[in-house]
Amino acid sequence: MKLSKWALALGIFTSVALLAGCGSGSSNSSDGVTTVKVAWRATGKGDSMYRIYSKKWIADFEKKNPKIKISLQPINASEGDYFSKLDLAMKSADTTPDIVNEDTFILPADAKAGYLEPLDSYVAKWSDWDKFTAALKKGSQGSDGKQYGIPGTTDARGIWTDLVVTKKAGLAADWAPKSWADILTAAKKIKQTQPNVIPFAMGVSTTNGESVSMQTFEQLLYGTGETLYNEKTKKWNVNSKGILATLNFINQIYNKDKTGPSLSVVMSSNYGSTIFQDRIPKNQVGMAMDGIWNTGNWSKDGAAPIANMTKVLAFNLMPTEKGQKPGYVTMAGGWSWALPKNSKNKKAAWTVMKAMNTKQLAVTRALQEGTLTVRDDAAKDPEYLKKPFIKEATQALQNAHFRPKNDLYPKVSIAIQQMVESVAAGRKSPSDAAAKYATDVKGIVGDSNTDTQK
Amino acid sequence: MMRENKTVRFVQYVVLAVIALLFLLPLLWMLFSSIDTHAIQAIQLPKQPTLANFMAILTDSNIMRSFGIGLLVSGFQAIFVVLISVLAAYPLSRYPLPWKKPFLLSILFLTSLPMTAVIVPVYQMFLYLKFQNSLIATTVFMISTSLPYGIWMMKNFMDSVPHELEEAAWIDGSTVWEGVRKVVLPLMLPGIFTIGIFTFTGSWGNFFVPFILITSPEKLPASVTIFQFFGNNGLVNYGQLAAFSVLYTLPVVILYTFAQRYMSQGFSFGGAVK
Amino acid sequence: MDASNVIKNKPHKTQQQKTERRLSVWLMLPSMILLLIFFLTPMILTVVFSLTNLSLTGEAASSLHFIGFQNYLQMFKDPALATSIWNTIVFVLFSAVIGQCFFGFLIAFMMRGKNKTFRRIIGLIIIAAWVTPEVVVGFCWVAFLGDNGTLNMLAHNLLGMKPVAWLYTFPMVSIIIANVWRGTAFSMMVFQTALDDIPQEVEEAAVMDGATRWQLVTRITIPMVKGTIATNIMLVTLQTLGVFSLIYTMTGGGPENATSTLPVFMYKQAFVSYQLGYGTAISLVLLLIGALASLLYMKILKVKI
Repeated sequence: MKLSKWALALGIFTSVALLAGCGSGSSNSSDGVTTVKVAWRATGKGDSMYRIYSKKWIADFEKKNPKIKISLQPINASEGDYFSKLDLAMKSADTTPDIVNEDTFILPADAKAGYLEPLDSYVAKWSDWDKFTAALKKGSQGSDGKQYGIPGTTDARGIWTDLVVTKKAGLAADWAPKSWADILTAAKKIKQTQPNVIPFAMGVSTTNGESVSMQTFEQLLYGTGETLYNEKTKKWNVNSKGILATLNFINQIYNKDKTGPSLSVVMSSNYGSTIFQDRIPKNQVGMAMDGIWNTGNWSKDGAAPIANMTKVLAFNLMPTEKGQKPGYVTMAGGWSWALPKNSKNKKAAWTVMKAMNTKQLAVTRALQEGTLTVRDDAAKDPEYLKKPFIKEATQALQNAHFRPKNDLYPKVSIAIQQMVESVAAGRKSPSDAAAKYATDVKGIVGDSNTDTQK
Repeated sequence: MMRENKTVRFVQYVVLAVIALLFLLPLLWMLFSSIDTHAIQAIQLPKQPTLANFMAILTDSNIMRSFGIGLLVSGFQAIFVVLISVLAAYPLSRYPLPWKKPFLLSILFLTSLPMTAVIVPVYQMFLYLKFQNSLIATTVFMISTSLPYGIWMMKNFMDSVPHELEEAAWIDGSTVWEGVRKVVLPLMLPGIFTIGIFTFTGSWGNFFVPFILITSPEKLPASVTIFQFFGNNGLVNYGQLAAFSVLYTLPVVILYTFAQRYMSQGFSFGGAVK
Repeated sequence: MDASNVIKNKPHKTQQQKTERRLSVWLMLPSMILLLIFFLTPMILTVVFSLTNLSLTGEAASSLHFIGFQNYLQMFKDPALATSIWNTIVFVLFSAVIGQCFFGFLIAFMMRGKNKTFRRIIGLIIIAAWVTPEVVVGFCWVAFLGDNGTLNMLAHNLLGMKPVAWLYTFPMVSIIIANVWRGTAFSMMVFQTALDDIPQEVEEAAVMDGATRWQLVTRITIPMVKGTIATNIMLVTLQTLGVFSLIYTMTGGGPENATSTLPVFMYKQAFVSYQLGYGTAISLVLLLIGALASLLYMKILKVKI
């Protein structure tokens, strides 16, 4: 019975492999040394984090703290998959990293899920905490008002304006929009003078995810004087004038004036790279709504270098609807560092966390990433002030709004993206889309948690 | 070989060439971008063709390690799926078993559950069994998920090997095992390669399973490390991504070339069939 | 005496059956163990999770509990479900059953008896389409169909056509063609293998009897690989039901759900909206469609088991 003997052997082998080979002991804290695992969403060898938290920095830290070892655990994934992976990992003490990088829009939801450790008692004893920008600290709180994250980086959004294009359209060299109407007028002028140029670009497709909610819809909405969510009454804004005005603006650009990018550009998941890596460097976009981080893209070592970036481009602030005070508006987001509740090494992790967020490293990070710093003292650093467009961005931050500190925001955000897409694609009228949004939001947060802002 | 008239043969050559060309066109973006350090999403002829993208990939030890791990995982998976499927397919093909039909059907239906739906239960099961972050356990899991297709295809290929040949071998004094080894398996080589390549390819491109089940970055296979070319805010390093992809297709292409020796040989095995 | 000798001597029928069954159990043991632990268990867990509020984040993630059939109720109330089911059927029917099987057979059939080098090159190109990473396949097609893409360039230079936003104007057609392109290799390989098994003599005899080429194909070749065609259609259908990354990279399921198949719909609910339990319920619809399709094939195509 050779055949069955062979089968038996294979069966036994597999079972042994299963039982013996699979188990992987979690090895830690032999000889009293604790390994602190730091997880973030990474982009390969050239990732900026490797330059900020370099081998030398780690070695220096470990020399000063012989009981702690730092292990960088980059996660290669799309943005959405990154959050899924992190959430799954944080569910168990066996798999959780000890420090995680969280996007501030998802932080309240993860806090509510019980994945994160409240940091209030930690920061109370940390002298540096006063140096962090007050508004940004709030951006890393949960819906219960507790501090769940240490801000790592922030950003500001505005209108990237191509001066070559605006000049040809007959606009003044120092042109800056004072109201939404100014944008529409300029876009029409660009369209008339330069048919091959995209006059005004903003993301509207659900494939572009959260950025559509934040930097298209919310940046417009907050310019009407309304907000998405009232933090005091805890009610979500639906059926309001501001929402309709926002959708009308999007409709005007994409369907009436046709001054937006073609639908095949804007509906693609590659919208961002098409506009910012391909078309802008070729002077084929008049205005584009996006974040300050693009300077990193256009710098000498970036993916799409632009020589004399500061001469060719302007970073204009997003005006309010009719130019009402304070005149301009921006949405700020960013990433924060947090401590997972399931980590067994919270004490050591906090030591690492403090070391990761010094003033010097805050400056380095902002310079490396093209983002804005989260510390008031770093913002005064001469090196930091040399960054391109830093003056405009810092000014923008003074009127920055943050997304709702509510764990349901990620779900509402999906409803926003669908609303914006249906208007831009011409499938729904602004009022129909707004009505659908009201229904969707009521389904997510409950009837009683919505009202109409005036 | 069959006598075909010359015009028909010529037309067939032309049609095949046209199909191949149509298949090649969409790949052009990948080929062009791989030799262009300033590649973008739109297709463009590289201004200065360069091998810099390839060098960047080939000199990155992390990427090379992930290729190695991917090869090991997928290689083992393919070999084991073939072995285990041969064993299971033999009785399913040769014996009248009462529970054959429900067994074959249910394993097949279950494969239509998307991995994205199953992965969370699997993850929790792995946590429970303390299998997390184990490449061996992940490979075993992947072997299991490819088995239904493997067994189905293997049984189908085995069915086409006439039972009489085996019986003839038995009469000549062979045991069951010898009959399988000397008669059935050689006739099934093309099928075995098809299943092997199919399994290897599925595993080689499997992102979600290792991504979720493996936590240490240094243990991840190439199907996961490919995402390092996707930056924040929708920015992508297209040139290196394309170069990575070209290298990524190589193992299966080589495997297929090798397997071609045993496939579409016309009728080299046909002599045994009477 | 060992069992193989017993088979050889063809003794009493029931005893032979007994031996066969015992041998079968041994032979199938490895696959049984693996399928039970790593396949069946998670599948059953998936079904169980579809009755819970399982979520990756937010309040629900901190308190997992059974919610009965609420996910299913929510699903049947969602108009996107019907759209997704319809899209899935169209996508599978045209890209897998019709596209991949047809081209796979055509290529495999014509490759027979051709020059070795020629065959190898053709095979490699088609295989390359299959093994390119799915996300990159998505990029290739976005570039191919883009405003300044290869297709518009060709249409302009050869036919003088104005550029068309293919992906946006014909989203479903675009993803179907892309999936035919990607998946044909598998069917080609399966058919190559099956065609190899046709004894040369059979076809030659038919030609001697004066059969035309068409008759030869429809009356001899196709009937001889009928079983493989049926099995292949079934396997390809089940594989195509699960296609996700390709669609997600090319269109993200848009514009406005026009290409949202069930796996895309499921992924969006489970991993973008973080409602895993709900997503799991959706995936069971996929399972149901797969089962129905397979049963249908068995009836119509008489897939032998």
